[in-house]
Amino acid sequence: MTLRRTSGRVAANVLVWGYAAMILLPTLWVLSNAFKYKIDIITGATLSPVTWSNFEQLLFSRQSQFLWNLLNSAFVAVSSTAIVIVIATMAAFTLGRLRVPGWVRWPILGWALLFQMLPTLTFVGSWYVMWSAIGLHGTYISVILTHVVHNLPMGLFLMLSFMSALPHEIFQAARMDGCSNSQMFWRVAFPLVRGGMIAATALIFIFSWSDFAIALTLTSPATMTAPVAIATFAQEYDIRYGEMAAGTLLSIVPALILILVGQRFIVRGLLAGAVK
Amino acid sequence: MKRTAFSIATGLLALAVVMPAHAKDQPDITMAINQSPWLNSFVAMVDLYEEETGNVVNLDVNPFGGLLEKIRNSVRGSEGTYDLVNINSLWLSEIYSGGFLAPLGEVQEGYTLQDGVLSYGATTNWDAAVGSFSPDGALMGVPVNGNVQVLYYNQAIYDELGLSIPDTWDDLYANAKKIEEAKGIYGFVPRAARDSIVYNITPYIFSHDAAFFRVTGPGQAAIGLNTTEGLAALKTYLKISGEDVAPPNPGAIAQGELIQLLSTGKAAQAIAVIAAWGALENPNESRVVGQMSASLIPAGPGGTHASSAGHWVAGIPKNVSAERQRAALAFLDWFQSQALQVKYVEAGGVPVRGDLAETGLGANNSYRFLGAYSANAANAVMGLPFAAAAEASDAMALHFNRAVIGEESPEVALNAAAEVLAGILERNGFTVTRQPDL
Amino acid sequence: MNTMIKPGVVIRRNKRWLVLSLAPVAVFFLVLSGFPVLNLLGLSFFDVEWREGAAEFNYIGLENYHRLFLEETIYWAGVRNTLVFAVTVVTCQMVLGFSMALAVKRAGSVGRTILTGIFLLPIVIPPIVIGTMWRLVMGREFGLANTLLRWFGLNEVDWLGNPDIALASVMFVDIWHWTPFVFLLMLAGLESLDEEVLDAARLDVTGFWQEVRHIVLPLMLPTILITVIFRVILSFKVFDEVYLLTSGGPGTATEVVNFSIYRTFFRQDQVGYGSAMSVVTLFAIALTIILARGVLARRRNAEEAE
Repeated sequence: MTLRRTSGRVAANVLVWGYAAMILLPTLWVLSNAFKYKIDIITGATLSPVTWSNFEQLLFSRQSQFLWNLLNSAFVAVSSTAIVIVIATMAAFTLGRLRVPGWVRWPILGWALLFQMLPTLTFVGSWYVMWSAIGLHGTYISVILTHVVHNLPMGLFLMLSFMSALPHEIFQAARMDGCSNSQMFWRVAFPLVRGGMIAATALIFIFSWSDFAIALTLTSPATMTAPVAIATFAQEYDIRYGEMAAGTLLSIVPALILILVGQRFIVRGLLAGAVK
Repeated sequence: MKRTAFSIATGLLALAVVMPAHAKDQPDITMAINQSPWLNSFVAMVDLYEEETGNVVNLDVNPFGGLLEKIRNSVRGSEGTYDLVNINSLWLSEIYSGGFLAPLGEVQEGYTLQDGVLSYGATTNWDAAVGSFSPDGALMGVPVNGNVQVLYYNQAIYDELGLSIPDTWDDLYANAKKIEEAKGIYGFVPRAARDSIVYNITPYIFSHDAAFFRVTGPGQAAIGLNTTEGLAALKTYLKISGEDVAPPNPGAIAQGELIQLLSTGKAAQAIAVIAAWGALENPNESRVVGQMSASLIPAGPGGTHASSAGHWVAGIPKNVSAERQRAALAFLDWFQSQALQVKYVEAGGVPVRGDLAETGLGANNSYRFLGAYSANAANAVMGLPFAAAAEASDAMALHFNRAVIGEESPEVALNAAAEVLAGILERNGFTVTRQPDL
Repeated sequence: MNTMIKPGVVIRRNKRWLVLSLAPVAVFFLVLSGFPVLNLLGLSFFDVEWREGAAEFNYIGLENYHRLFLEETIYWAGVRNTLVFAVTVVTCQMVLGFSMALAVKRAGSVGRTILTGIFLLPIVIPPIVIGTMWRLVMGREFGLANTLLRWFGLNEVDWLGNPDIALASVMFVDIWHWTPFVFLLMLAGLESLDEEVLDAARLDVTGFWQEVRHIVLPLMLPTILITVIFRVILSFKVFDEVYLLTSGGPGTATEVVNFSIYRTFFRQDQVGYGSAMSVVTLFAIALTIILARGVLARRRNAEEAE
């Protein structure tokens, strides 16, 4: 029994760390391109002279504004994710836990799924026309709100699944205690579903952070986000691997920090809620 | 990447300090352009223009993969964002035929290109009645980057093996064979991936006196692909892409792989765009600096030479004010002169004139590509001169690519490519004369 | 029902909550997705041409669909590949993601933070970079994958150039890229399981696998289901990876539907025809989801019957 358990644990460890290596090895190899000359990158040289020229090109060349692109990305992703999570969580609670007439429920869920299934690429032209018509093309508002509607179906369905996974008895008990809908949301559902919220927040943040198609069409040079800037390195005649890797390195770090700090922030809120 | 409000402001400030000598006489204009290896040379020209005239050209620099969409969005609106749009050769017919651009002869009465500027197979002019490019059509724009395909070869290896520049496709194959046998590297690299094979095969087709189709009159087209000449062209392409001289699985080789093979010295000859020259001569990107040369693409059995146009043309949209249209044309007119094109080349650009080899540049070893460039540019053709060029290219590419990877015989591939092309032409309002199946 | 407080007030407040909680979602959908979606569905019956700088909308009925079903070749090769792609990658991602979540949940707190950080890496990298980086790794001459193979004395493989292998290579990259998505949701699902319920249930089963199969999996079913649905949808929409890795070639070996739609709708500017492709794809996705739901439901029934 003990032996089996130990060998099982060893096997699990091998599996997990093997998988971690599968992720780390190519990632680090490619990110190390940020410090190489292109000739060393395309020949796959392992030991090669180190250069900062890619970062210089990325950050300090006259036409570059990569740090500004990163700030734009952070602003757009944080704002749109916050809006999605707030409205999706409330709606998911109502749809998943309260009695809602069918003519309200099914159009919302059906539309969300339909909208999610159609390719984003085919919508961006329409969005451009709409935002231009009211003079908001190229502003943060246009990108943020479009990201909200684009990621809303996923936010809604994820939160719905977490809401429906909560045990039925808790809500029954709360109802017996005379809780109103809003009280049930804030006191019962919200604290219990925060684990799911963290995951949904992280995913929606990532989708907004790495979006290319919407940001390309709706941003102007002043509001351009990091993925659009990084895409300029995939050029018609050649791919600037070095600058691309440098840009990726600089965009991964803030994204990971925001996700991990955000998690801690939400977890602390969770503990605070539990103490209450 | 692009010039921010920031750098524009500092730029203006610098201008105000350095040169009140020239009065600014035009409103500021904005140009949509793509990030590219030649962007810096173009920026240098814009800087020079601003310095000389005091007028301002702002550049909105976009990823290559997003520029067409930005252009469409702007030119289709009631009021455009851009006063100048940089159009890739593959998009020209769509933008011209859509009626989005102001013919330059209307912006300024009777305007024509300066003498010596190349038109790359009349692609600067569009004949709306015929639905195709034509020297008789209205002038729609000015080329800003003259990218065409040339034959690259490794001069060092040529010297070592005593090879001479190939005149015909057979010579090219013979050279490739000798290189492969003597050096153990690839003698030739085709660019046969699906998204680029039509562009790459165009010189083969036209040098064999075949064509995808020919415009025979207003709304009239004759297919010229599934003919004996077309078959000979495709067979030549397949022979020189064979495993005995070219890399295995050439059906996946796109521009990136091609340049990589040349720049690492793994391959000695290829037909590729002149815009790759800079990368091959940059010590940070290439192991063959100083070894490469360019030449005229080989001729077919009838002695015909051909190259394919991959240039960029700047056009002026209709939906901006007449004042700004004139400002845009003022910049384009300034850009064309021989003296400035010399500066463009010195800054690393691909010129749009065919007469630069005769200037001092021709003798300079750094610009040894200029002669070959001019010769090929004079033969440049636009393989698919009608509005649905992109659709036709994608549809035919599948069959050429399948022929390369052996999924279709050359005859089957040509018949199928001709048939889809005929269908697309008909859907676009042409009356089509077909060829009997091979 | 509790009769201690005034029912009228509660009912009014409860109604207000219903409206307030659903209104934002409804407004967003209505205002920002109504026009694009209806526009797309409508366009599939039109042929759009630009003349003199203005669009001409020609109603052509079912012509686009007719053409799609009778004359198209590339799109249908894409449908076939995408079905293979979706089923394979979603299955692998679910198994891998779930296993990794189980393992991480049992790891110590330090190992857990490190592992979560590492496992999340692939989805933080912009998709456009994923494509280019794997094209480098899988390059025939100089790629890392073949360099490693040569070190071990094995034959090199043309990962992206060989038509028989290319789709598998693209699927591998997608699994690599999107397993973290599944991992994150599975981990959240596992952590929200009620420990008391688990402890009580553990008395009835013996062994880890029994526990996973008879307790954890059934409890996680809502999360698993929604994850599968979203992974299916997203894998039908795969684009960036294919675009930069293989552009659909060689031949049609790696053609996928979203790439066909991109090419038709955007590159070739055939918006009507591209819309028809999108609508047909929509039905393909819906069908796949219904089938996937059916499989999962049958599984559950079988399990309950045991």
